[in-house]
Amino acid sequence: MEIVVNLDVMMATRKISSNELAERIGITAANLSILKTGKAKAIRFSTLMALCHELQCQPGDILEFKE
Amino acid sequence: MNWDKDRSVSLSLACVGIFALCLAALDIGAYKIAEWFVANRFQHIRHGVLLMVSIYAGSVFGWICLYQLWRLLNNVRLGKVFITENVRSMRIVSWCCVWASVIGLLSAAYYLPFAFIAVAAGFMALIVRIVKNAFQQAIEMKDELDLTV
Repeated sequence: MEIVVNLDVMMATRKISSNELAERIGITAANLSILKTGKAKAIRFSTLMALCHELQCQPGDILEFKE
Repeated sequence: MNWDKDRSVSLSLACVGIFALCLAALDIGAYKIAEWFVANRFQHIRHGVLLMVSIYAGSVFGWICLYQLWRLLNNVRLGKVFITENVRSMRIVSWCCVWASVIGLLSAAYYLPFAFIAVAAGFMALIVRIVKNAFQQAIEMKDELDLTV
């Protein structure tokens, strides 16, 4: 079981690039890449909140639990 | 005097260098030391030979230890503190101390004051081992922190 990050799907739906999103939420493009590729071990509430705010979605749209 | 982190590391490196010089002097002068001990303490040539064996056996671990400390300090100077290479260096230093302690214990059989060196080396091994365990934990925490977005 794992937590899958569907950030790329949400970004494609909202038609926003990685660099633009990183700049808007105030993290580096490298860190956003870590999150997108599923290498991240944890996500801060502040980052999740900023992502949800910019992408106009719920945390559940970005994170998904898979058995 | 403006004392900073880099100067502190440089001082530690200089100390490692001084210890290396002392160890080299001990290696070169081992015969003279044994000769002096035979004449003034042991009264027996066999003990002099044993003293030289103890010095050279201990010296091997001393050199390994100093080399690992040198590597460790160079990594620290480059800002690479919490890395597995440093943990490996500390593990080696710890084992060197253990073996130096064993040599000290064996040497105490013919010259009792070596028992003090054995206890000191054993205690040093314990301290280095605890620091190594702390470093291992710190590396795991750093990895987690590095991958927290």
